[in-house]
Amino acid sequence: MKTLAAVALSLVATCAAAQPPDLTGVWAPYRGGRGTDPKLAPPAATPLVLKPEYAAPFEARRKAEADAAAKGEPIASGAVACVPYGMPRMMSVALYPIEILPTRGQITIVTEAFSEVRRIYMNVPQSPIGDVPPGYYGRSVGKWDGDALVIDTIGVKTTVPAYQNMPHSDRMRITERLRLVTNDILHDQITIDDPVVLEKPVTYTLAYRRLPGYEMVEFVCDNNREYIDDKGGTHLKVRDR
Amino acid sequence: MSALPVLLLAGLLHHSFAMFDTTKQVTLVGTVTAFEWTNPHAYIELDVPGDAGAVKHWTIELGSPSILQQGGWKFKDLKYGDKVTAVVNPLKSGQTGALLTRITLPDGRVLGNGPGAAGRQ
Repeated sequence: MKTLAAVALSLVATCAAAQPPDLTGVWAPYRGGRGTDPKLAPPAATPLVLKPEYAAPFEARRKAEADAAAKGEPIASGAVACVPYGMPRMMSVALYPIEILPTRGQITIVTEAFSEVRRIYMNVPQSPIGDVPPGYYGRSVGKWDGDALVIDTIGVKTTVPAYQNMPHSDRMRITERLRLVTNDILHDQITIDDPVVLEKPVTYTLAYRRLPGYEMVEFVCDNNREYIDDKGGTHLKVRDR
Repeated sequence: MSALPVLLLAGLLHHSFAMFDTTKQVTLVGTVTAFEWTNPHAYIELDVPGDAGAVKHWTIELGSPSILQQGGWKFKDLKYGDKVTAVVNPLKSGQTGALLTRITLPDGRVLGNGPGAAGRQ
């Protein structure tokens, strides 16, 4: 009898250990800062190295953006026209939280900025690269690797800027490892591989802190007073009364 | 304006704020004609009386409701007719549009343009 009880207890313990961490809930960007444990802050990114044919126009674009911003006429990003960010930039927009919603066979992530939605299908095969209709979020599949949620994303439209607004091809693959560093701090290590555009994959990490009880704020872009002129400059519609 | 608030704003807004002159601050004392708690930005419309009695109208851009809530704002903190004092960064274009730095409400509370600016992180 004693032996049976021991076996049962051991089974319970094994099942508990196999349970993936619970990521359910709202998470806010976390950047560490003074007085916080440096281990909780996201580690530094690896360098972004583009192939020469992409690096030159990328740098030229950055310079043009800086020059335009200095003149007070910033070159518009899609966000000015209320176009969503897409993957992977949607995972980190200013101070806006994200909400992680696991359900059977799927994990859904909803962002507060622009109410973007991505669906991660669990434990199913990924499609061949090139077979996913190009979109803002592509197709994401996930699985647990120990205590890390590993997500593979392909099929992001080439017109959707990626990390640091880098260009990318239809070969881009995004691999994420989401892991609880503590019960209340979550890291999302993101690796972007694009053999057409990048000399080598780039890896950066986003950190989030749990926001218990937070109710997500709606974000419907129905009063956009900023507009883009025909040269791509951003302006504000000012009312006269 | 020091570099710190500029960096802070960069983290609060979802896009560049370079159309505003963040090196310049203007204090506007006026009457609210509209407070729009909307996305992607909230707006305060303000009538500001000038020296000769003429009224200049200003459009003041704020962060989004989400960011403002994080800084202590509520959607009903302002209404038509409220008298306020707003410190703003004007548009570089010279038009009477601006980005809010901080505002003193009729009840004396001072709110910024998001967390940190209002003393909350």
